[in-house]
Amino acid sequence: MARWALISGLRGDLEAYEAIQTDLRHTRRVDTLFVLGDVIGPERECNALLERLQQPRRGDLQPHCLYGWWEEQLLAERGYRGGRRADALRLSQGEAAVDALLQAVDPAHMNWLAALQFGFIELDCALLHGSSAAVDDSLGPDSSPLLLLDRLTRMDVNRLFTARSGQQFRLELSGGGIGSQVRDLEGQRQHQQSVPQRQVIGIGAGVHYTIYDPGSDRLDFFIAGTKPKQRARGFA
Amino acid sequence: MAHAVISCLHANLAALEAVLADIDQQGIDTITCLGDLVGYGPQPNEVVNLVRERQIPTCQGCWDEDIIEGLNACDCSYPSQLAERRGQLAHQWTADQLSEENRAFLASLPMSLWRDRQLFVHGSPNSQHEYLLPDMDAFAALERVESAGAETLFCGHTHRPYVRELRDGSIRVRVRQTPGEPAGVAEAEDRELRLPLRRIINAGSVGEPRHGNTHATYVIHHEDTNAVEIREVPYDVERTCRAIVDAGLPPIFAWRLRHGFEYAERADDASHVCER
Repeated sequence: MARWALISGLRGDLEAYEAIQTDLRHTRRVDTLFVLGDVIGPERECNALLERLQQPRRGDLQPHCLYGWWEEQLLAERGYRGGRRADALRLSQGEAAVDALLQAVDPAHMNWLAALQFGFIELDCALLHGSSAAVDDSLGPDSSPLLLLDRLTRMDVNRLFTARSGQQFRLELSGGGIGSQVRDLEGQRQHQQSVPQRQVIGIGAGVHYTIYDPGSDRLDFFIAGTKPKQRARGFA
Repeated sequence: MAHAVISCLHANLAALEAVLADIDQQGIDTITCLGDLVGYGPQPNEVVNLVRERQIPTCQGCWDEDIIEGLNACDCSYPSQLAERRGQLAHQWTADQLSEENRAFLASLPMSLWRDRQLFVHGSPNSQHEYLLPDMDAFAALERVESAGAETLFCGHTHRPYVRELRDGSIRVRVRQTPGEPAGVAEAEDRELRLPLRRIINAGSVGEPRHGNTHATYVIHHEDTNAVEIREVPYDVERTCRAIVDAGLPPIFAWRLRHGFEYAERADDASHVCER
């Protein structure tokens, strides 16, 4: 079965993207590349990376891209989100960051950015920048398990791949349950529900990327441009 | 002390009068309303006037919001195009009828009300449009209460009254991370979250019951014992049905009041939250 590479948080860094593509080409036996958003950012000019994503070079894995938090901010500021503007960015980092983001992306790329999807559903997996609740939902290994279970339940998936936190982690819901008692005009009934065997996976950001084999459920975390300390590490 | 909670009045004056009389008869003077004062029914101004006269603390329902903000729900809200057209017709009729003063009142309503750790909302803490049905996933239901920081959540919107207790919950997780390590072997860490006891109390509907009976429903919360009573109140259904037909509203609104079943304009997927 196909192996997936999942990346995010490049924020205009073409060198990081090239390092990942080189890794994938030479060593990883991957045939599908998912880019879970934040391909743009205010720190550097993003046009070269955007062009590369839209027009891959020979030998590049074709990227399947979603929009992330930074794309959402730019799309809002450029008027692609109705009356909303980049309020979250303005509030958290100030007007200068909004200006820098506008400068970092040529308006010619806006239609491509506006056509990006919120998420992908592949097999029993949801691939999202944040979560099923929102693009800015930052899920991490310390997030409440109740909240993580809710985010899985909303999409009705067994694996949720998320990028917003920038962290690499695998969190398995491994057990537990809850009792529920409902009383209405028809009477009273009780129900015991078990925690489903589901997982939330943080894929990392920048040169930190993730390989997933949906056939075996094996997951590996990598850093582009570095040799693994030993082969075949990871966890299935 | 006893406290009455009413919801989904839907411009049905006869039903509201009957419910308020039932509350008065029991000597209860604390009432909270969970919204949807208008929509479907033939007396929007009369119902809003009565809520204002009685000074009932009220949060905003989805119909109240739509009247103020305009009908901007996505096309998920109705099970069919016919139902959608009927809903739009009722929306337009209500918007035309409502006085400026009552429109301003609806616009002033808060999304939620708090009393100690009791939270009062129309649909859910996330949205006025989200249905918390009695058989929804128990963990998701608990998440709605817990994420809002409440112990007891009072809601409406489903038009079916119920009391749900979520207890003895726990979630075990196994976390593996490799911070900064290239595919390093990850040590697993096991954790367990014990979940608190929480309650969801749905007040049903005064003006458009959908629980299989024509009686108006509401709930009484006895705060000293924490007991909850689900009340059914008969009212003059024919009076409202005649007013619906006389107003030129779709006759199916009267027909379903006479039956009390869910033939109403509810989305097929009740767990869907409208993206607006």
